[in-house]
Amino acid sequence: MNSKQKTILLIVLSTFVVSLLVWQIFGGEIFTKTQVLVETKDELFGWTEKKWENKFVWGLDLSLVISGASVLIGGILFFLFRNRKNYNQY
Amino acid sequence: MNKLIRVFLVLLLGNSFLSAQDFKVKAAGTQTFNFSDENGRNHVSFFSTMPLEDITGTASGVSGTVSFDPANFAKTLKGKISVKVASMNTGIELRNQHLRGPNWFNAEKYPDITFEIKSVSNVKAIGENRLEFKVKGDFTFHGVTKELTVDTEASYLEESEQTKKRAPGDLLGVRAKFNVKLSDYKVDNQLIGNKVAEDIEVGVNIVGSNKL
Repeated sequence: MNSKQKTILLIVLSTFVVSLLVWQIFGGEIFTKTQVLVETKDELFGWTEKKWENKFVWGLDLSLVISGASVLIGGILFFLFRNRKNYNQY
Repeated sequence: MNKLIRVFLVLLLGNSFLSAQDFKVKAAGTQTFNFSDENGRNHVSFFSTMPLEDITGTASGVSGTVSFDPANFAKTLKGKISVKVASMNTGIELRNQHLRGPNWFNAEKYPDITFEIKSVSNVKAIGENRLEFKVKGDFTFHGVTKELTVDTEASYLEESEQTKKRAPGDLLGVRAKFNVKLSDYKVDNQLIGNKVAEDIEVGVNIVGSNKL
């Protein structure tokens, strides 16, 4: 494994860890959402009512897509940056 | 002695208040409340459990009317409330599409979920112009109609500066809760390959006006 391949591996692993961390920071939801339900009090009737609020929530699905994409791109780059000296030996 | 009489009068008034089963309001005769709400504040919420993540959603396309004589509520209540299936929202667009799609609620073939009032029972006053009661009616969902009894609470607010901010006229706020068993209405409890709980909890929070 050459230095470029090591860098690629490090970037892929970092992307994986960061995407999982971000997922946890956003509350560990399974699915990514662009809207969340919030409860507000109806002053007139005194009951609580539900309202949609635009808010982005990072889900595990997004972390998996990003991790998968980084593994795929990293794998291709890992292959492209392989040490070609080995071929000259044979 | 005077103290004793006062206590007796308070108890008597309190008892008559609690046993009241009608609305004590100025409006006389049959009042019709319209629940159409362009602002989308009227909504029906639903909750279901799934193996991966629970679903909480709302449907804001509420319409319909309810009419009754405030002085004779239980015997005169009638009406029909409809909810548009296409207005259902779970916060995830892809899931909404599946929910409204032909394999689930089929919004195209069955665009409305309706409840038509048939009778009222167990009316209890729980506050000033606030009644708690059971409503029996025909619930139509996914093309299937079944009789359902719903625990309901209704609050009657006479027109005031505060109520005018919401809508003109007297307002009727209705809250209800009931469960819907999916298999009773021929709905498959599979959503995007995941098994959804058989029972869906439904909550209703709607406000109607008699001047809309």
